Amino acid sequence: MSLFQLELRLMFRERAVLALLALFVLSLGYGIANGLELAERQRKEADALIIESSQFNKQVRDALERQALDPRQAMGSGHLALLPPPGFAVLSGGQADLLPSHERIILWRTEDPSEGKIGLANPTQLLTGRFDLAFVLIWLFPLFLLALIYDLCAGDRESGTLRLALSRGIGAWKLLSVRVLARGTPMTALALGAVLFAALLGGEGLSLPVWIATGVVLAYGLFWCAVALLSNCFTRTAAAAATVAGAAWVIFVMVIPTLLNVVVESAHPMPSRAELVAKLREASGDAERRSNELINTFYKDHPELAPPGMQADMLQRRLAVQEEIGRAMDPIYKEFDTELADQQQVVERWRFASPAIAAYEALSDLAGTGYWRHRAFRDQVAAFKDAVFEFYSPKFHKRQPLVKADIPMLPSFAFREEESAAVQGRTLSAMAGILALALLCLAPCALRLSRGASGKLVS
Amino acid sequence: MILTIALKELRDTWRDGRFRIGGTLLVVLLIVSGVLAWQQNERTRAERDAATELDRRNWLEQGEKNSHSAGHYGLYAFKPTAPLAAFDRGVEPYVGSSVFLEAHRRNATSFLPAQDATNMRRFGELTASLSLQILVPLLIVLLAFGALAAERERGTLRQLLSLGVDPVQLVVGKFLGIALALALLLVPLIAVGAWLLSGTGEAGDPNLTRRILFLIGAYGLYLGTFLAIAVAVSARCRTGRGALALLLGLWAFNCVLAPRLATDLVEQWVPTPQLAEFDAAIAADLKKGIDGHDSRDVHLQKFTQETLAKHGKQNVMELPFNFNGLVMLESEKFSSEVYGHHYARMWDQLEAQDRATTLTGALAPMLALRTASMALSGTDLSQHRHFADASEQHRMEFMRVLNEDLMKNARPGDHGYRVGRTLWEQLPPFVLAPREWDAVWASVAAALGILGAWFAGSFLWLYMSARRMRLEVA
Repeated sequence: MSLFQLELRLMFRERAVLALLALFVLSLGYGIANGLELAERQRKEADALIIESSQFNKQVRDALERQALDPRQAMGSGHLALLPPPGFAVLSGGQADLLPSHERIILWRTEDPSEGKIGLANPTQLLTGRFDLAFVLIWLFPLFLLALIYDLCAGDRESGTLRLALSRGIGAWKLLSVRVLARGTPMTALALGAVLFAALLGGEGLSLPVWIATGVVLAYGLFWCAVALLSNCFTRTAAAAATVAGAAWVIFVMVIPTLLNVVVESAHPMPSRAELVAKLREASGDAERRSNELINTFYKDHPELAPPGMQADMLQRRLAVQEEIGRAMDPIYKEFDTELADQQQVVERWRFASPAIAAYEALSDLAGTGYWRHRAFRDQVAAFKDAVFEFYSPKFHKRQPLVKADIPMLPSFAFREEESAAVQGRTLSAMAGILALALLCLAPCALRLSRGASGKLVS
Repeated sequence: MILTIALKELRDTWRDGRFRIGGTLLVVLLIVSGVLAWQQNERTRAERDAATELDRRNWLEQGEKNSHSAGHYGLYAFKPTAPLAAFDRGVEPYVGSSVFLEAHRRNATSFLPAQDATNMRRFGELTASLSLQILVPLLIVLLAFGALAAERERGTLRQLLSLGVDPVQLVVGKFLGIALALALLLVPLIAVGAWLLSGTGEAGDPNLTRRILFLIGAYGLYLGTFLAIAVAVSARCRTGRGALALLLGLWAFNCVLAPRLATDLVEQWVPTPQLAEFDAAIAADLKKGIDGHDSRDVHLQKFTQETLAKHGKQNVMELPFNFNGLVMLESEKFSSEVYGHHYARMWDQLEAQDRATTLTGALAPMLALRTASMALSGTDLSQHRHFADASEQHRMEFMRVLNEDLMKNARPGDHGYRVGRTLWEQLPPFVLAPREWDAVWASVAAALGILGAWFAGSFLWLYMSARRMRLEVA
């Protein structure tokens, strides 16, 4: 029987180990069930929006086949811009509960900053976060894993059995590395199995992102195995090893991420939203006061859009006012986007300060609930607003109805997913980085245990 | 005897490398988090003050217009910084900080700070409260797991007991020794923090000192509970290793697993209302009342007939006031009642969720402490509701004044009626009154009760564990 098999057999004899594994399975199952429920809810909401929007669009098209229409009638409650629910949402809720996934674009409200709505949510729940699969994998998996492997040799050293084992010719490095692999394998296998199982249940199938996610989880598990090995190499007692492992968990999963958050928000503070709304009102008040001047200038610049007699109605004035507000506010909105993008850049740059950050970012990215996909949605919505404006604005100014020939040109939104190579690049680099960190932890262990250090280990 | 044991334990703890390293790290984190939170609070306050001033100026300088049009122009109410947000930011990043007050509609607060942040927020925020809720208990575990179990392993416990040392005195001495070491570390920080915080608080919250004292009490109960449990576990476990494993498990359950598990389970039991249903219910109820802007509205036509009959007139132009103003008043009154009813139900539901989560503190004391900490810091859901309801009251009063002006001062049928700055100045800026202590107490009482029960229970268990040690020499 190999050493690996022996370790496995010994481990499964411990009732505490079985209890830990059972608890971990329960946690994984609960995380998956929660993720599936969230994904299903998102899908239902998206389906309802799509059905409502396509029914309305069909009515508009049918009406246009028969007669000309006032553009206002074609606008309805706004053109729907929808971020489709991601296929692998079960993996990580990410920021899906915080960021709006749909927006209705209404021509005369494109400058309203609060059009994108999120559902009702209890803020205490938002603060706490969801019990999803990513929570189990990033927060609980290392805790469970460390509980199984924190004592690789210290306990044996205290009881004297380590000396016996080493005296039988097994090298210290081999003994500890096989032991950590044997004790870490069942828990890691469960974590990997959960990712694959969740992908199958969630309808994502065994796609490349799923395999990358398993790679990230595997690398993350290896990192924590390396931490356990490191703590065993440099401590004398099981209690000290547990202390070091526990402290490492707190530092990597709690302290460094919260510190990074502080650094990110201090280095690139967001402009004030309160000032934004006040400035928006100042800009709108100013534009409204100058509405006559604005509409006259507009028609001077665009004589081809001027209505008969150059007499603008309320809506035409409003469009001119809105364009002016947009001009005044665009630099402020851009400042928000730029600061957030800069914050994200800092996170990307420093994510390897803790493998928990790198792994969480990667899982959210692969799940389609991270920063980049929402950023792409926001950018595309901004472009869609321009398209809506460019299509309808001339019609309103010239008081032209919509006709049958306009049907193919009616604005509609279709989200373009980010290039998969970009997602793969980010997540594979995260995986490689976590593996590198694991190796970094293993290096001092290998050095300590390879230089005929069996004696050091025992003493 | 207790004092001797306590002083010896204090000396040992003070010399312990774990205490020195962990304690130093903790102090640094507490200071850094305190300073950063302070800066952030000051920045938020300055930004909010600037925005309030700018919005007020916009309101006053909006120019002459119909008073009801001014209602549509509306204004913003900005949420004041919570009294002790520098200590515990609570749900502040997850609720809006401003609300647009306008005619006919009650808007939800908008702009959640967490929406303007990266995914890193999911790891939590570095605040003094988080450090005290999570990191200090971990330090307690690391300091206390070996208090008695290690003595047992070394054989010195048996010697001590056989010399006639009372186990209860021994256990209490150990508890006091570690508690004193922690107190030497934390009390100066708490004193400075409390002194600095007592100088903050907007609108002169008269309960600030009381809030701070209760906060100190709540955290004292929580940390005392943790220390009593840690020493009791150490008294019961055969080895230090076993005590450590068990205590780390308890810590992980309390600080990592329980918060998410509890809020998730509560969400299953008391589901959050769906936005689509919430909006649809409001829209359906609004249709049952007067729509002041739709002349074909049947309710408006009925109301017109009733008003004419009441005044014995044939035409609204003959009425002694501007009928449009009356319609706007009635329509606003009705819609405010509809919004009030639905929003109250929604808030009740969310508060019921929070109450249920607090009750799960019976299984994990951090959940009770978190509720108490947020409520006493003025950063919980109920405080946010207080702001939302107060701003709605302000909106209703605002609209009443504007619509009454239209009704009383505009001539019947006068569509060119205009008012200006004199009226705008009559409408005061929004000021949020501090929450009554009774209301704060209602949010916090159950949580403090649970923490008190944990404290008493843990000490009883500690006492029983000490009594049990007598058997070791017998």
